[in-house]
Amino acid sequence: MNKIKDRSTIPFHIVKAVLLTLLSILCVLPFVVIISGSLTDNLTILRDGFSILPRNLTAEAYRTIFRSPAGIIQAYKMNFYYTFMGTALGLLVITLTAYVISRKDFKYRNHVSFLIYFTTIFGGGMIPWYMMYTNVLNLRGTTLAIWFPALMSPFLVILMRTFITGSVPDAVVESAKIDGAGHWTIFWKIVLPVLGPGLATVGLFQALGYWNDWYRSSMFSTSSETWSLQFYLYDMVNSTLAMRQMAQNVNINTAELPTQTVKLAMAVVATGPVLLFYPFVQRYFVEGITIGAVKG
Amino acid sequence: MYQQNASAPSGRRETVRRTKRNRIYCLGLCALLILMLFMPVFSWIRAVNTEELYGVMNLKASVVKKLTADHSVLTFLSFVETSKQGVLGFWAFLLLIVSAAAIVFCLLTFAVYLRGSGRQAEKGMLRTFSVFQKGMCFSFLAAAGTVGLILYANAHYGMTGFLPGFAPCAVLALSAAGYAVSKRLEKEERILYREHGFLRELRKNWVLFLFLVPCFVFFLINNYLPMTGIYFAFTQFNFRDHLFASPFVGFKNFEFLVRSEILHLTQNTILYNIVFIVVGNVLQIFFAILISHVTNRYLRKTSQTMIFMPYFVSYVILRVLVFNMFEYEVGLVNSFVTSLGMERIDFYNTPHYWPWLITFFYLWKNIGYGMVVYLATITGISTEFYEAAQIDGANIYQQIRYITIPLLKPTFIILLLYALGGIMKGQFELFYQLIGNNGMLFNATDIFDTYVYRITTTQPLSMGLGTAAGLFQSLFGFVLIMVTNMCIKFKNPEYALF
Repeated sequence: MNKIKDRSTIPFHIVKAVLLTLLSILCVLPFVVIISGSLTDNLTILRDGFSILPRNLTAEAYRTIFRSPAGIIQAYKMNFYYTFMGTALGLLVITLTAYVISRKDFKYRNHVSFLIYFTTIFGGGMIPWYMMYTNVLNLRGTTLAIWFPALMSPFLVILMRTFITGSVPDAVVESAKIDGAGHWTIFWKIVLPVLGPGLATVGLFQALGYWNDWYRSSMFSTSSETWSLQFYLYDMVNSTLAMRQMAQNVNINTAELPTQTVKLAMAVVATGPVLLFYPFVQRYFVEGITIGAVKG
Repeated sequence: MYQQNASAPSGRRETVRRTKRNRIYCLGLCALLILMLFMPVFSWIRAVNTEELYGVMNLKASVVKKLTADHSVLTFLSFVETSKQGVLGFWAFLLLIVSAAAIVFCLLTFAVYLRGSGRQAEKGMLRTFSVFQKGMCFSFLAAAGTVGLILYANAHYGMTGFLPGFAPCAVLALSAAGYAVSKRLEKEERILYREHGFLRELRKNWVLFLFLVPCFVFFLINNYLPMTGIYFAFTQFNFRDHLFASPFVGFKNFEFLVRSEILHLTQNTILYNIVFIVVGNVLQIFFAILISHVTNRYLRKTSQTMIFMPYFVSYVILRVLVFNMFEYEVGLVNSFVTSLGMERIDFYNTPHYWPWLITFFYLWKNIGYGMVVYLATITGISTEFYEAAQIDGANIYQQIRYITIPLLKPTFIILLLYALGGIMKGQFELFYQLIGNNGMLFNATDIFDTYVYRITTTQPLSMGLGTAAGLFQSLFGFVLIMVTNMCIKFKNPEYALF
């Protein structure tokens, strides 16, 4: 009996192993292509095209990037600045709001929740939003315009509220109130200390969003000083493309500049920190997604 | 003696109840009168000094004739349109919104009152009062705004051609009186039901209000104030006038959109999203089930980590990647194709490949995310179910078919409904980074978001058109969500979005 059952599941296990392996490889392969491309000789790429494994191994591309590193260092600095400001301030503001709408003794919590939720189902659209920052507040070209618009998101507020209601029992808050603690004390002394996982999860979502942002830089930047790292990469990809086309038009030997591999090396440099930290922080994202999707 | 004492208060209570009812009827009458004054037959703006209008505003006789006709609050915008004075347009637009809110709240008062008195509402008349007060506030704002508009217009042209009609003055008086009376009545009701008002709450929980200040500032700047900017959808933007002073053109932008772009934008946005939702969820469930059957913990963690990884890279990296693979001369695919001795494929000039590619890369980036959700649900399923099924002789396919999949259904429905709510919201970053400004591919790949972005960054003269497209997208999505939610509430209220 047992044997028959075992045999009948064999095809399933084979199919499972094959498909999962294929998908895993498919998900990682592109990263391998980028890294190996960035380590390949530029001429080889122009002659034979890209390949999965590096041929004619060279670090020429990385050397080219770091020969004049001012631009990339500036972009890195700005990216750290945006990520830090956005995550720190955003976390504070989100937690404060989430605390208020988690309080059952607050009469208007449903009104506030609705005001926050409503922004996800109706909006003025991109152009009025853009006009608000550029023409009304005159923030074009400032760093404020790049980190402020993503400070809060309804999803993260609701996620944080779920964390708070999950980790701080009502009874604890009630007894603190009886002992004479005000909301200020309750928030800083009781809620925040037990909110570690919630803060980590929401903060990491926030940080990931800021690190990967190129969109606000493209909209609000007036000089390359304020570009985020991703937009710097984007611009580089586009201008090397333009450069190559231009060079082809006037018949210059473009191979002298390793344009292809430089792009890839830039991509590696821009994603490096994310992929380095990713395995260690993955579980926070998993937790956040699970809680947000099932209970939010 | 005892009987007398008992009957006297009950008689007084009856009188109190009657006077109270009478007062409430007074409020109803007040709301009704205000509603009437919003009807187009009452004049809100009157043009009196016709000669001045000829001279100062430099208008033709036929236009002046139209202007000197009486204007109700509902015909403000046509007034602005005929006078070609863009400056007044934004103001008139806001007034129209405020008036609409006033009308809605006045009507709601009756609805709430009727429902409350029919079903003996939990907190007496408090809800009716709060709705009524909102109606009065908006009516007052609309009337005051009209007077302000007239004063502003006169000052702007240095004349005295416009006068407020009878209606705004009446609305001002009525709404102020109604508000005051309802406040008095509300106070009595509050004591009865031990409910406190806004000020009391503010005093009691001022720290909480303080906590909310940054949130309010943020959503006001980022979401609510820009909503008034939908006015641009009704203007023809030009550089000479100020942003809010460009001439008002009514529905011209929408007409243009309907004639040219709207059909294929809507089609693309919705079709792509449907494919993303359907194929995405099926694959996510499929792989979540597969991965849940991996018994080796280490292997399971590793493959989950690998599949989830693409979610964490930015779309710019995706752009680099796709370019590497599908570029004409050096792309990975083409170098593979040529090594097989076939012709190169010109991906970046051939539209029909891109729906497949975009779907593929959407899935590549998002399979991990949904898989995590479904996997969490699967691990939450009690093992007892499977043990019982095994004892009954169910094989692994039957276990999946009759235990796992039915128990995944609630999660699936929740995710599906969320996704349906956002069906008009395109995956902007994905489309823009893969396609960019490659005009060759627009027919197959243009969605609302990319269309509006292109206008914002490259064609400032079409701002009005872009806003109109965005407004259409927003409104259509809003209506879809409302209808979906209503249907769900009707069928299965557990799954309702709100």
